[in-house]
This record gives sequence, C-alpha cells and structure tokens, in this order.
Amino acid sequence: MSQRVPRWLAAPAIAGVALLLVYPTIYLVALALTKSSLAKPLNRFTGLDNLAGAFASPAFTPSLWKSTVFAVVVAVTTTLLGLGIALLLRHRGGGFGVVGALFLLPLVTAPVLVGVAWKLLLAPVGGGLAGVFGALGLAGVNPLGHGVGALVVLMVIHVWQWTPFATLIAFAALGVVRPELLESARIDGASPWRIFTTVTWPAIAPSIWAVAVLELVIGYKVFDVLVVITAGGPGFSTSLSPFVIYQTGLRGSFDMGTAAAQTLVFGLVVGAVATVVTALRSRAVRADA
Amino acid sequence: MAFAPALAACGSDAATTALSTTAPTSGRFDGVTLKLLVNQPHVTSFRDVLAPRWTQATGGTLEVTAAPYDQLTSKQILDVQSGTGEFDVFDYFYFGLGDLVDAGALTDLTGWIDANGDKIGTSGYLKSIYDPYTLLDGKRYGLPYDGDVHILFYNAELFDRYRVTPPTTWDEYDDVAAKITTDAKGAAYGAIVSGQQVPMILGCSYINRLTGYGGNLVDANGKPELTSDASVAALTHLVEVNPVALPTPLQIGFDQANTAFLTGQGAMLDTWTDMALRAEDPTASKIAGKWGALSLPVGGANKTPRTALDAGFGLGISTATKNQEAASAFIAWATAAPQNLVTSSTAGAGIDPIRGEVLDSDGYAKVVTKAIGPIRQGLDGDPLVWPKKAGAPQLLQGLVDQIALAVNGTQTVQQSLENSQNQWDKALT
Amino acid sequence: MKARLVLFGGVAVALLPIAYLLSLALRPAGEVLNSSLLPDTVTVDNFVKVFDTVDLSTMLTNSWISAVGAAVLAVVIATPAAYFTARHVRGDRLLTILLASYCAPPIVAIIPLFFLLRYAGLTNSVAGLILVNGLAGVPVAAWLLDGFVRRIPVEIDEAAVIDGLSVAATLRKVVLPLLWPGIVAALLVTFFLSYNDFLFAVYLAVTKESQTLTVGLSLFQGDRNVQFGQQAAAGLLGVAPVYVLALAAQRYLVGGLSTGATK
Repeated sequence: MSQRVPRWLAAPAIAGVALLLVYPTIYLVALALTKSSLAKPLNRFTGLDNLAGAFASPAFTPSLWKSTVFAVVVAVTTTLLGLGIALLLRHRGGGFGVVGALFLLPLVTAPVLVGVAWKLLLAPVGGGLAGVFGALGLAGVNPLGHGVGALVVLMVIHVWQWTPFATLIAFAALGVVRPELLESARIDGASPWRIFTTVTWPAIAPSIWAVAVLELVIGYKVFDVLVVITAGGPGFSTSLSPFVIYQTGLRGSFDMGTAAAQTLVFGLVVGAVATVVTALRSRAVRADA
Repeated sequence: MAFAPALAACGSDAATTALSTTAPTSGRFDGVTLKLLVNQPHVTSFRDVLAPRWTQATGGTLEVTAAPYDQLTSKQILDVQSGTGEFDVFDYFYFGLGDLVDAGALTDLTGWIDANGDKIGTSGYLKSIYDPYTLLDGKRYGLPYDGDVHILFYNAELFDRYRVTPPTTWDEYDDVAAKITTDAKGAAYGAIVSGQQVPMILGCSYINRLTGYGGNLVDANGKPELTSDASVAALTHLVEVNPVALPTPLQIGFDQANTAFLTGQGAMLDTWTDMALRAEDPTASKIAGKWGALSLPVGGANKTPRTALDAGFGLGISTATKNQEAASAFIAWATAAPQNLVTSSTAGAGIDPIRGEVLDSDGYAKVVTKAIGPIRQGLDGDPLVWPKKAGAPQLLQGLVDQIALAVNGTQTVQQSLENSQNQWDKALT
Repeated sequence: MKARLVLFGGVAVALLPIAYLLSLALRPAGEVLNSSLLPDTVTVDNFVKVFDTVDLSTMLTNSWISAVGAAVLAVVIATPAAYFTARHVRGDRLLTILLASYCAPPIVAIIPLFFLLRYAGLTNSVAGLILVNGLAGVPVAAWLLDGFVRRIPVEIDEAAVIDGLSVAATLRKVVLPLLWPGIVAALLVTFFLSYNDFLFAVYLAVTKESQTLTVGLSLFQGDRNVQFGQQAAAGLLGVAPVYVLALAAQRYLVGGLSTGATK
C-alpha cells in the first residue's frame, strides 16, 4: 500500500521547508560564524568566537535549563488538562458548542493583551485581585516579585493560554472513536478506565502525542507574554532563551552574530528534547497501528 | 539571489553620504509626501500638530508611522539595512545615535548645518541638548526635536496629611518615603520607584540618583565611572528605598507608576516632565491642583540640582530617502522656534522645548504650570548625558541587569557595580 | 451533572482574565488601578476613542486577511504532506524535518526572511505575511493532520484502489470527508497562530497600511501613559469576531468515521 503513496504529495511541504528552513538556517550559520550586527551582517569571518560569546553571556546557559523545565512542565500540564476537558465536553453530550468556544478564548486573545491582563490582575496595588488578596491576608504580595514565583506564575499563564489548543485537538480526535466499539465495551461491563485505555486511547494516541510534541516546542518558544509581563526579570529568573536571544540580537548592540550562535545552540537543545518525545510517540503509535 | 544584498553589506563600512550644503531649509513641496518613522508618544505632535501646518506652509503632506520606543532604533536600522528604504525622516533616540550611524542609516548633516546655521537658527538650540542629541565623533547627524528630562513630582495633599516637606536631598527623599508609607498603613506609599528591568525604566531610576550625587556614567575621556562614590551611593539609595516604595519596584513600568501617581496612591515619582500636563487633566488625574514639582534631589558633596537626559529625540534624514530636499527642509522647519513652541504647548503632544526662547516662553509655562521651575533649572543646567556610541544600549542593558540583581537582594551593591564596570571597561577600550 | 459543574468551573477560570479585560475596557482611564475586578463607572468611550488613537480598522482587516490566507496556505500544503507522512513507509522522516524547521525561535531569521520578501517584492505587505505565516504553520498543521490520517483505516484507501480510483481521487473523494474534523481543527489552529503572531508582523510589516492588530496593541505599550482601557477595547474588538468564527466552525469538529464510508 505505502508504495502507492507518491512523493509529489510531499513536494509542496518540502518546498516550503526549503524556503523557511534551509535558506534561513544556512544564513544563520553564516551569521554565527561572522561578526554580524543588525546593520552589517556577514562583516568578517570570526570562526567560533560568537559561539564562545554566546556561552559567556551570564543569562544564556541558565536559560537553556529554565526553558527546558518550563517547556516540559507546560507540555505535560496542557496536554493532560486539555484531554481532560475534551473528555468532559464529549461526556456531557452535544458538540463543542458555545462552552467549547468559550474555552478557546485564552488562545484567541493576543499575547500582549494576555500579558497586560495578568499583570494588572496581579498588581499588588490597584490590581484586579488586590482586593481578593487583601481579604486573604496577602495584601501587597506580588507573586511576580520573586524569582521562582515569577517563573511559576508564567507557567500558570502559559498553561492558561495554551490548554485550549490541546482541548481543541483532543476533542476533534475523540470524534474518531467508533461509537460501536464504545457501546460493546460498555455492554461487556468494562469500567470507564478500561474503556478509556482499550478503546479510546488507541484511537486518539497519535493526535494526543502530536499535541504533546507541539506544546513542548511552543513552550520552548514562549516570548510575547514574557516581554510584557516580566521583561526577563526579576534579575534573570524569567529570562528564557528566546528572550535572551532577542535581547542580544534586536536590543542592546544588535549583535546578530552571537544571537545566531545562541539560536543554533538553542535549536539543538529543543531538537534533542523533542526527539526524545517523538521517539516515545513513535513507539506508542507503532504499537497500536 | 537573496544573498546579493547581504553580500553587498559584507565588509562595507559606514559610508554615510553627506547632505549637500545647498540643500534647502525651506521651500514649496506640493504633492510631495514625506514618510516619517517616529516614536509612539510623538504621534500626536507629528500627525495632529505639525502635519496640517506643514501642508499649509509648503503644500507637502506627512505620513506618520509609529513604533514603540523599544522597537524604534531596530526598525530604523532594518529599514535602511535591508534596502527597503520605506522612510525619509527618522525621529531617533539619541542614545541609538552610535548604532544608527554605524549602520549607515543617518545622513551626515555637518556641512549643511554649518553653511545654513543662521537659517536653521542653531544658536537658539539649548546648549544642554544640542550636542548630546546630534553630535557624534565631530559630525552632526540630526537636529534636536524633543528635550526629555526627569523631575520629581509629589502629591501635595499626601505631604500635608502626613506632615512632610518636599525633599531636596536623596536622604530626605528616603525619609519622606518611609514616613508616609509607615503612617499611611497601606492606604498610600511614600515613593513610586519604577524598576522594570530595561534601561528606559530601571536605568532612569538609578541615573536620577547618580546625577543628583554629581556622578556620571563615563568621564570626559569616555572611561566608565560605575564604581565611583556617587554611583555606589546612588545604587544604595535605590536598594534601601525598595521596602517602602510601591510594591514591587522591579515589576513596575510606566503604566503602573504613572497611574498610581495620578490616582494618589503614591506620594513621589521621578518621571518625564509631561506628567505635569496629565496631572492637571481632570479626565486622567485624580490629583489635579494637588501636586507639585521639584528638581531631582541632590546628594553627597553636590548641592546643585542636576537632571539627566533620560530620553531625547532628534530628527534625522534616512540615507535611503528619495526626497532628500523635502526632508532637509522639513527637519529645519520642524525644529524651528514657532513649531517647537506649538508642539510643546499643546497638551497631549508630549514634546519638550529644545530652544531657549521656547523654554522661557509664557506659552510653555502656562501648559506645564507648577513644573516650569524645575524644568528650566534642568534644561538650563548641565544634565547627565547617556552614552551613545555604537553598542551603548547593550552596555546599559548589562548595567540594568546588574542593578536589578542588587535591588532584588541577590547581589551586593559593590559586586553589581564592579561587574558592570568590568563589562564596560572591556567594551569601551 | 458533575461533568457540567466541573466544566462550568473551568470556563470561569478560563474567562476571568478576559472578563477583567472587558471590565478594563469599560472604565475611564483613571480607574484602571482601582483594586477591583469591576469598574466604578461604566463607559463605552474607549471603544469609540480607540479608532482615533490607532488605525484599528485597517489593522483588524490586515490581521484577518493574513490569518485566513496563512491558514488556508498552511493546510493546503500540509494535507497532502500529512497523507504522505502517515501512509508512506518513510513518512516519519518528513515529520521530523518539519518539526526541526519549527524548533528554533525565528528572531534571528528575521534578517534572511526580510531579504527573501524583498526579493519577492513582498515587504511591508499582507501578502508577505500570508507567505511567512503560512509556511511557518505547515509543521503544526502537518503534525496535527498526520494524527487524524493515521486513524483512518488503511482498508478504506485500499477499497478505493480496488474501485480503480487514482491517488488524487482517493484523497479527494474518500479521505478528505473523513479528515474533515482534523482539517477544521488545523485551520482554526493555524488561524489563531497567525492572527496572534507578533514577531513577523512587527518587523516584516512596518508601514501603517500593513500593520496588524498585534503591532497595534504593542503601540499602546510604547506610550508613556498607557491607555489600558483603549488597549483592552482594541484587543476585545479583535477577539470577538474570532470567537464568532470559532463558534461557526465548531460544529464541523464532530464527526469522523461514523459519518463516512463503511465497509
């Protein structure tokens, strides 16, 4: 069967990738190996200097760790939460509906506004929740004011924003489960958990794994909300890698050479972690095929 | 293919074309549209105040595109460097001057200015800002447009209620802040300290204290002075006022700081002079008629009030423009006395005087009300100038990162300043 | 029922910040920091004034056109690609390559992309945004669609072969109808991603005519006295039509094999 699948189907995607991946990556490597600023890229060959410079910046290497922790935590959380909500939506019957669409609102709202809304909600003086905090005896407390707290709050905000993505896909995937199989399993007296593991999960696994992989990469690339809410602070506690790269390349001295080197290193890290997850996915998918 | 522009930029150095000395300073430009890339807060001044007048005076039109201040310099560089050349005139940040010139984005105006000094009226520009905003390595790349300094605003009603007097030194400032915060028990805070970790916010808070102590970021030879006594004192003040300032300084940007002051939640705020107009505007402020303004406090051996050029903008001509004559006439016209007077006297336009006669005028004084004294004192004096060589923004960000670590308690004042001094030494030598 | 109760609670949490945005949009400038979720005075001024402060109608139009175009472009390219990755023996390799192209933040890629667009004459244009966002959306769409294609039993394809259909016809007549929920989901997702894209829009579409909503909202951030009320109003005016779109599209998310071909 698979021999019949002609390669021209993949051609447009490959062309797109060539344009968006191959060309910029070659350019990126060239930038990383030369003295390049936003104004004057590819000025002079400097070898691995930029790479050394990338690691020398105090914010960059720790950011790789922070980004990884952040991405893994939010990927797991959003995927599981999204799946849970999708199951509840299916369970209550009816379609995605008004309720489902309401769940999509965090994803649909512009990141800048998400940042503004949360920042103002949490502002210790005058913020939306300041009254609530006061009543709980926490007046003047700013969850964003301390290192670890700030990162946790960012995770919460990201999960709030990206769970709808998982919900949407999970819901669509659940539509693929054959009702006859569900019925017969129920008639056989299987518990809900058993029904889930033997009937539902195999049907939706590929989609859920796809969601997990995408949420991971999206979690790695978090940027817009960061800039608005914490600008990388306090200190460097919320300086995740994309933010550090942005500071290097588009602010500060517009040092595109170092930013390119950082991007390559970061891309490799993301790729490595993503490969682990995709390997897990491949095993799971092949087992059910 | 698409590498061609890249290769063209390869190894070429900043050959900025110079404006001909015969370029016009005025004229008719019927049918010519000039495209400006400006700082977002200046949009009103260009679009609503200057554009109609320009059309009336010359027949030409202005098309104004805005960028937030933190994207302004990079967008200007990208526009020229990529070969797009969409814009004719840049409203540029003065500390991005080095980067812009390095990118070959600004036309060298030195010859033209020298030849046309009288027509442009260069002797009328305020001495405190003319060179800082336009001069780099002996050449001039723009004309000053907006002279931005900081002064100290205070809430007179809160001062009366908690029986404190306006501070003249940073020590007094800290005491006033502590007293009001303690006595108000959460109803208000003595000081609003803006500490979001970017040069334009946390940087200003530190520099306002530094300038009060008579310190400088770099000395006359361009060597960094970040471990001077003035610098240590400045950062120490910033760290020590943290507990009594509006929570939590490191998270506070303009938005929260300004709103908190205008709603009477904070008693003192050091910020731009256009706060004066907002404070008197009953639709935006709850403290109209109940505020006052002072020059920034002094400290240590320095007794003369001194401000800092915490922002500042000039108008330059893009090297990629196709309307060079209209552009040169425009920047001369826009920075002339009548135009500077009308933009600085229009509430909401957010422009400060760049000429002595405008600074001293009654029209301007009427608009800024109580703030006129400290503004005049600041702009007539010798304000601290931020470094503007290529790469300066990067150094400032590094300094701000270290300052944040000190304010956060993660690092001592001494350590933070030493780290910054080392970073600046390495970069500036 | 318990499920409904939990869902209700979930919606409340999901909506709190959005409702707060609405509350911000409905209050005058001085009341933004009034320590409360609710406004003291209600006014619709912000919704009117915002059209003067920024060119909101142009921005909304640009955002919509570029997002719709990008979503369509991405899904058109990704659908055959997903069929390939799901069915072909070496399909997974393409998936990996696509993911690789998605992995790195595009910040530095702005420069080569800028050159690319300039070469094609598409800088500062909505068409340029469609191209860039569309291509950037292909990996996401392909990964999602791949999952859906895999759940369509191979027997259905084989039955089409036995019936004498060509590959293209199989795709069109047999697979596509079963894939529909996946396609709708992929369209919606790539639409959302493009609609809210910030980095590309900010640097690749700088002029007033080509600016999108996300750029417009960032302009408010650039002001010294941020007009939160108007910013919130602008953002909500951007969200509302998209919500309507999601509502309209959601009925297509149901369905699947039960509505398709049977043995």
